[in-house]
Amino acid sequence: MVRLITHNLLGCHVKNCNANNFPLEFKNARVELVEAEFNPDFLRNFLPKIEWKALVDTARQLGDTSLPVEQPEMVDDDFLKALHHVLLEVHVEEGAMVCPNCKHEYPISNGIPNMVRSYSFEGYNTDPLTIPTKLLAEHEIA
Amino acid sequence: MPPRALEAVRIESNEDPADFEAKNVHEIYDAIASHFSSTRYKPWPIIAKFLSDLPTGWVGFDSGTGNGKYLPLPADRPGAIWTIGMDRSRNLLDIARRAGEGKVVREVVWGNVLDNPWRPNAFDYAISIATIHHLATHERRKLAVQRLIQAVSADHGRVLIYVWAIEQDELSKRKVSVEDDPEANEKGKDVMVPWVLSKTLAKPSPETSQPEVYNRYYHMFAKGELAALASDAAKDLGLSVGSRESCSSTPGVEIVQEGWERSNYYVELRRWSK
Ligand SMILES: [Zn+2]
Repeated sequence: MVRLITHNLLGCHVKNCNANNFPLEFKNARVELVEAEFNPDFLRNFLPKIEWKALVDTARQLGDTSLPVEQPEMVDDDFLKALHHVLLEVHVEEGAMVCPNCKHEYPISNGIPNMVRSYSFEGYNTDPLTIPTKLLAEHEIA
Repeated sequence: MPPRALEAVRIESNEDPADFEAKNVHEIYDAIASHFSSTRYKPWPIIAKFLSDLPTGWVGFDSGTGNGKYLPLPADRPGAIWTIGMDRSRNLLDIARRAGEGKVVREVVWGNVLDNPWRPNAFDYAISIATIHHLATHERRKLAVQRLIQAVSADHGRVLIYVWAIEQDELSKRKVSVEDDPEANEKGKDVMVPWVLSKTLAKPSPETSQPEVYNRYYHMFAKGELAALASDAAKDLGLSVGSRESCSSTPGVEIVQEGWERSNYYVELRRWSK
């Protein structure tokens, strides 16, 4: 259930990975389509905040070509319905998101992306990847 | 039941606060997730109002979303805004996904409040309710506030933060004695708060008939500490602190309200630029 609206807001946050780290690329994505309530006012107001190219490219990678490469000047109902579907009804349930820059993989399991990264910044652990192994194992296996 | 005194805790200087939080916060919430969630259903008035005042089309995130009770709001305009939940407890997130009435699935992300997994300034608002008090050092609490500030729009982003207060109201079952600890009124106090797992939800354990008790770590905030923390967090990011009109250097953050509600302190921030 990483929907494309959420995907459009996420970026890689590996330490020192600060450029070309958006959008994350889906890998082995298992997609489910789930109907959601259509709210044109929400979409109209949210539209200017979308990273458009990232949304269109990602939708195409997942096999949906309904959105135009350029945002249309005329925002009509057909366009909003296509946007609604891409943003809110395409759920990635399993797979991973990969940073285009550092190639770090953020796994998605049962619809929940694992974005856990930072642990210590006070010098106790120098490796920001250090995750208590017990917690990691429990969830990675599940 | 008479008020319980809370056990004070000292985090040793050689202890990694991240490990401390993993053991005394994250693991506990994973263990008590379902019982905890069953006791957390009513949104608090100031938070509900904050969310219901937001314009249609705004997107935000809830840092430390727990069981996701704020994700479906505002109740009178469902779907008008879009809140993504983030939490460190994977078990709470499974509950948060289903927050609210019906079959609507919420968006949730597994992450630490110190993480910064968002496109900078991507959101219009952020809330963090009863979460930052689980961080074990002042620096970490400040970083958590900075993450919220960084995630919202530099022009209009709004942030609402709630933390547990050293001033507890009479309804609270817990009482912290600060008389013997004058420092607490200035610096807050680190305590362990017991959670007694409901017997019906606890796994049957033939060896003991005792209820299972889990202790969670809290930093109880002193009066004024939260607003000062927010102000420091903003200044360290190079932002002016004050109203748009009163500050000469841009961009900035204004503290638009702060207060106490039902044993908690809250603060609302607004970002501005000119
Ligand atoms: Zn990266």
